[in-house]
Amino acid sequence: MNKKQIVSSSLLLIAIILLALLPLMTKKNSTINLVILLLLYMTLASSWNILGGYTGQTNLGHAAFFGIGSLITRLLWIGGIPFSIAFLAGGIGAVALALLIGIPAFKLRGVYFAIGTLALAQILNLTVSNIFPEMSYNPNLADYQLMPRYYLFLVLAILTIGSAYFLVNSKWGLGMMAVREGEDAAESLGISALKHKLLALSVSAFFAGLVGGAFAYYHVSYYLSMPFGPEWTFDPMMMAYIGGTGTIIGPIIGAVFFVGLKQFLVWNVGEYHLIIFGTLFILIVLFLPGGLVEAWNKSRRLLQSRTGQKKNRVVPIT
Amino acid sequence: MSAPDQDNHVVLSVQDLNIYYGNIRAVKDISFEVHEGEIVTLIGANGAGKSSTLRAISGIIPYKGTISYRGQDLHKVPADKIVAMGIAQVPEGRGIFGSLTVRENLKLATWQRKDKAEISRDYERVYSIFPRLKERLNQQGGTLSGGEQQMLAVGRALMSRGTLMLLDEPSMGLAPVLVRDIFKVLREINQSGTTILLVEQNAYMALRLAHRGYVLETGRVTISGTGQELMGNPRVKEAYLGG
Repeated sequence: MNKKQIVSSSLLLIAIILLALLPLMTKKNSTINLVILLLLYMTLASSWNILGGYTGQTNLGHAAFFGIGSLITRLLWIGGIPFSIAFLAGGIGAVALALLIGIPAFKLRGVYFAIGTLALAQILNLTVSNIFPEMSYNPNLADYQLMPRYYLFLVLAILTIGSAYFLVNSKWGLGMMAVREGEDAAESLGISALKHKLLALSVSAFFAGLVGGAFAYYHVSYYLSMPFGPEWTFDPMMMAYIGGTGTIIGPIIGAVFFVGLKQFLVWNVGEYHLIIFGTLFILIVLFLPGGLVEAWNKSRRLLQSRTGQKKNRVVPIT
Repeated sequence: MSAPDQDNHVVLSVQDLNIYYGNIRAVKDISFEVHEGEIVTLIGANGAGKSSTLRAISGIIPYKGTISYRGQDLHKVPADKIVAMGIAQVPEGRGIFGSLTVRENLKLATWQRKDKAEISRDYERVYSIFPRLKERLNQQGGTLSGGEQQMLAVGRALMSRGTLMLLDEPSMGLAPVLVRDIFKVLREINQSGTTILLVEQNAYMALRLAHRGYVLETGRVTISGTGQELMGNPRVKEAYLGG
């Protein structure tokens, strides 16, 4: 390990320890709830990023996978099945749904996958709200404890981000990035675009489904169609873009930035925050396609080249 | 250059190839063969169907007719498996992965291979042919010059270890001196045992290098012969070699 890796892995370790000890440091549920929200979004944005950022396939229906995960988990769990099984079933259900749309859509090139996923999420949103119009699938409040929920989200965030890290640093991850950069070129080297897209989609949907299940376990009372709403697609997507798609840290930074800014704006300007977020998203896509991570790298390079020039100037002429 | 032994068996055989883009027939009943150890070139103007032919062989576009590699029909073989069968490719426009490093670009070409010891030997071989690539291993592919990108594309094809190498316009966009360098390397690669099918607009360089060539005009093979015969052919001279 080089110096940079040691620094970043010890920072990571400190962050995880702090998060793990957080419930000991604060007794305020509002703080825990805020951190849960952050962890949920980090997980969702990171899972979107595996397909959208690393493999270059625009998924406009991540809510479908988040929603189906929460629907399956909620129904099974409320129906009396042990939570762990219900939770896993949510993730697997999301993968099944993803393959159902991915296999036909990825055989075609271009925008079919984006359109297909967008339609899928909308159709499910309407269908679920028609089939389950009432709010009667709620857990028993007497048993409700916040701490297991908090640790579930924490473990899931670590698991998702860790899996994304190992996947994109593997041979398969390299293949995914090659597919993003150029499908024909990838195939000309013997890298199957279809297989790599389906792999990225399955991993992405699996974690989206799991975090949907965690949401179903955490949230006390809601309409079952609620996790299918388009905001569950576009918020995490925006976070990935704000932070920087195709990087591990991007969606994490993006989620923190997004949640922080949203809290601030909701307090100060209310519903107008939607307009501000929309504008911000357009500006970032247009002028900073690599997000905050790119902005950081650029400014650092600029600084380095400045100091580099100064050094050159003081080299004595011999 | 004189052709290697004519009795050598056929590496690639293309029979009655037809390629359609919608209602437009871009390639019309093309047939040709590539023998073991040969360099064969397809020359012709823009839109003659050269690249389409190559893309059909790579399995990227659908076609009618028969393409077989060492006696095996390629019609139902998906593109990624064609590489595993031993057909290395330098795609049109080089196909460099711009945001990946030179090292990653090379590594991707070994995706289908399992022979680790051989792979590290092949890296050394690529570095010895293109020392420039070794200097730039950690640089992003997109930051390389055109010539370096072409070296990387050829280096990648070497890393995928085919016995037949398909090249689509390796001279495109390169200064004449770089074209000469690349073609010199292609001859070396051929001499070390790789059969080459080269698609080129730069007919002069291609015919000087190739054992045999085919002239494509609006989707048909109009003239064929050895490289030298074609260079001496008055029609080829007038149309492709500048009189």
